[in-house]
Parts: sequence; C-alpha cells; structure tokens
Amino acid sequence: MSTDRETLTRELLEMVAEEGMVDASEITPERPLEELDIQSADFVMILMAIEEKYGAYVSVDNELTDVVTVQDLLDLAISKIEAHQAEEA
Amino acid sequence: MARPASTRVVVTGLGAVSACGIGADALIEATQSGTSGVKPISFEALDIQRVKTAGKIADSDLAEILGETPHRMREPVAEYALAAAREAVAQAGLTEAHFGENCGVSIGSGFGGAQTLDRNYLKFGAEGSMRLDPMAVPKIMNNAAASWVSMEFGATGPALCLATACSSASQSIGMGMQMIASGQVERCLVGGSEACLEAGVFRVWELLRVMTADLNRPFSKDRNGMILGEGAGVLVLESLEAAEARGATILCELSGFGTNSDAGDLLRPNPERASACMRMALRQAGLDARDIGYVNAHGTGTVANDVNEVSALRAVFGDTLEGVEISSTKPVHGHALGAAGALELIVAIGALLRQSAPPTLNFTEVDPKIGLEPVPNAAKATPLKAVMSNSLAFGGINATLIAEAFAADV
Repeated sequence: MSTDRETLTRELLEMVAEEGMVDASEITPERPLEELDIQSADFVMILMAIEEKYGAYVSVDNELTDVVTVQDLLDLAISKIEAHQAEEA
Repeated sequence: MARPASTRVVVTGLGAVSACGIGADALIEATQSGTSGVKPISFEALDIQRVKTAGKIADSDLAEILGETPHRMREPVAEYALAAAREAVAQAGLTEAHFGENCGVSIGSGFGGAQTLDRNYLKFGAEGSMRLDPMAVPKIMNNAAASWVSMEFGATGPALCLATACSSASQSIGMGMQMIASGQVERCLVGGSEACLEAGVFRVWELLRVMTADLNRPFSKDRNGMILGEGAGVLVLESLEAAEARGATILCELSGFGTNSDAGDLLRPNPERASACMRMALRQAGLDARDIGYVNAHGTGTVANDVNEVSALRAVFGDTLEGVEISSTKPVHGHALGAAGALELIVAIGALLRQSAPPTLNFTEVDPKIGLEPVPNAAKATPLKAVMSNSLAFGGINATLIAEAFAADV
C-alpha cells in the first residue's frame, strides 16, 4: 500500500465515522455497515463528503449494491477517487 | 333521476411537449425509432456538476412554447401544460360548447413552479435582494398549470392537481377517468407537467445520487441511475356517450386504473405493492394479465427500481414474462417526474396505435439479478390489444393505467 493510499484510507474512515455518526473506535474494515447502523441516508452523506473532498461522483447504484462491509465501501471509494484523479491528471 | 351506471372512458386527443420535440407524434416517433432527446445541460450557478445530460426541451422548441414575450404570470410548467392541452383539444375537435361544468381538469406536477422558486431563492440568498418576482406565489403554486388550462378553455368542472412525485400524472389521469366513469363530468383534460431542470433542483437530485453521469440504461446489467427530463403530456378523456354524441374520433379506451401506497419506506420500493397496483388496474379493466401485450415500465434505470419492478411484473404476468413486451422509454425522453406518467401513457397509446413496442435504448446486457431483455434498442412489431403504463413514485405511491384498442361492443 502506498503512503497516499494509507492517508486516503485513514481520511475515508474518519469520514465514514463523522458522516455516518458512529464512534470511530467502533469502525474496523471487516465490519458490515449494517452492523454499524449506517443506512442509505448515511451513505448519501458519506458520498457527498467524498465528492466535496476528492471530486469523485459515486451514484447510489449498481456499484454500491455489492457493498457490505466498511472495507467494500473503502475499496469502491478509493477506486473512484483514483479514477477521478487519473482523469484530472 | 336514476344514478348513472359506470361509464366507459375513451381518449379522443393527445398532446405533448418533451425533449423529443413539440407534439405527441414527435414523442411517439422518437420512442419508436429510438431517437433520444437527451442533451448536454449545464448550470452557471453550479460550481460542481457531475451529471451533464438531461431530457431537456430543445431551445428552439422552448422559444416557440414561451413565445416572444414570456407571460408575466406563467412559469414554463404552466406553458408546457397549455401547449400540450391545446394540441390535445385541437385533435379531439372540442369547441367552446364542450367545456363549462361538464369538463374537468386534472393535471399534476411534482415540483410546480421550480424555475421561479429556484431563481428567486438564489437572488434572495446570493444578493439579499428584496426585489423578487411579485408574481412568485401564483407562479410557484403546484396547481398553476391545472388552473391555466381550465381558464384557457373555460373548463369550470372540478380542477385537480395531484403532487405525488413520479406518480403525479398517472394518478391525475386516473382521477380524471374516475370523475367521468362516475358520471360527475362528461370529459376531462388530464395529464402532468414538469419544468424542473433548474440549478438547485438538479443539484439536489445529484446529491440523492440516483442520477447517472453516464448513459441511462434501464434493466441493463451496467445501469447506473436515471436521467432527468421535463415536459408535459395532456390527454382528452371523454365518456363514450359524449364522444359518440359529437361524432368524435376515438383513439382508444382507457379502461384500467390502479393506485396504492407501499406505506413502508419513503424511497425504497416494495414489489408486492407494485404488483397489487397492476392487479387493481387489470381488475377494473376486466382484463387478464395475458391480454396486455405491452408494458411501458417505470424503468428508471436505478438498481432499486428495476429489480423491484421486474419482480412485481413477474408476480402479475408469470415468472417467464412470456407474451408481454416490456420496455422503458426513459432513455429517450428522460424521467420527467410529475409529467412522466402522461408522456409514458401517450407512448404506450402510440405503441397500441402503431402495433409496435418501443425499444429500451442503450440496453447492453441482461442483468442476471433481473433476467429481462426489455425490447432492446429497436422497436418490435407485435399485435397489441391492450397496453399498460406504470409509475412507481418516491413516497411509495404506485399508479398503473391500462389503455385498450377501442371496440364498440364489449
């Protein structure tokens, strides 16, 4: 994992905690989002924060249907952010 | 005086303005030929805009609809409805004597005067201006389109405006149909109008993240959301007696209307309620599912809607969905929200008149979670006796309409 990706992962975890209104200490990558009581409205808030910070647009749709755990969400967000950064470059 | 028996309701006029042009024929032709009216769209007021297309009315059409000097008390949402109503009334051949108390108006809208609301808030918020549009209230109110249409023709019967998001038009058409069937009025101008392609409205749709930044591909494996649209659709509905008495040309019969509520989740649909809604419409029409040859699906192209709707369709039409053609024409005209049900009923009636099921544009690959090939990319000639149009709205409000080829004896 590159340093950039580590930073990104940490920032995203903070974002999930803040926008999903859950205690950061409860969040681990393998935990299902449902268990953390993160619901569709929280998803929308998290995705809005991702867009504001990184400029990447993720629709609440096809890509999101397979997201179960925190790690799934991080993987999707990171791939979208990297794709967006590649586009901008 | 005896209570009148339930009356048959027929369609004698169609009118539409949409991304496909001015006129119901332009809409029907575009959906049949698979010519999309989706265009690039950009908003000066938006610093961030991820979705860059919409089913927008072409600038030249807009200029024609609004005229050289825009009316000071009318929003585009009212002008769209008026343009569609004038076309429908002209096709039906209605004259002054056919309006008055015996004619109702039932025209829904999801957002009402979105342009005035959005631009006035922006002016107020950004500039702190106190010089706002003094006609903002009568322009913004949801019933403005219905009221302008009733004034235009002197239709002094009941005037309704249902604001039930994406089911506004389908429910409005159904209510008009019921007013005629119950003997309350002889005829009714029914439909929906929406002019929601404004910066603020667009941005909040973006934030809900149900729009795709790519192409709208209903039922496709790689679909990723909807595309907004706008416009108006208006139909002239009449009792069979009234239409025959004035020697009108009958386009088709409107025989079934179903509507219900999920009473569950505001945004997440429930397939059992959608299938119950379709069954209610079939029951009223006195039809079996196998009588329906074509369904114009709500088919937004979001994962949730398409999975839900196909599951509901299987419950009604059988697991294999054999014998019924299903498509979504939203990639052609966009999702016109409060006008969607009217535009799509007109598209379904177009299919009935042309005996041809319109295609689902941009379709690439069957989604294994859905297992449906929805008349992909090219129209399919097919004998049609009856057609169905579905609207499944946020708020859990479902509406289904059924139109049939007209036969004098049933």
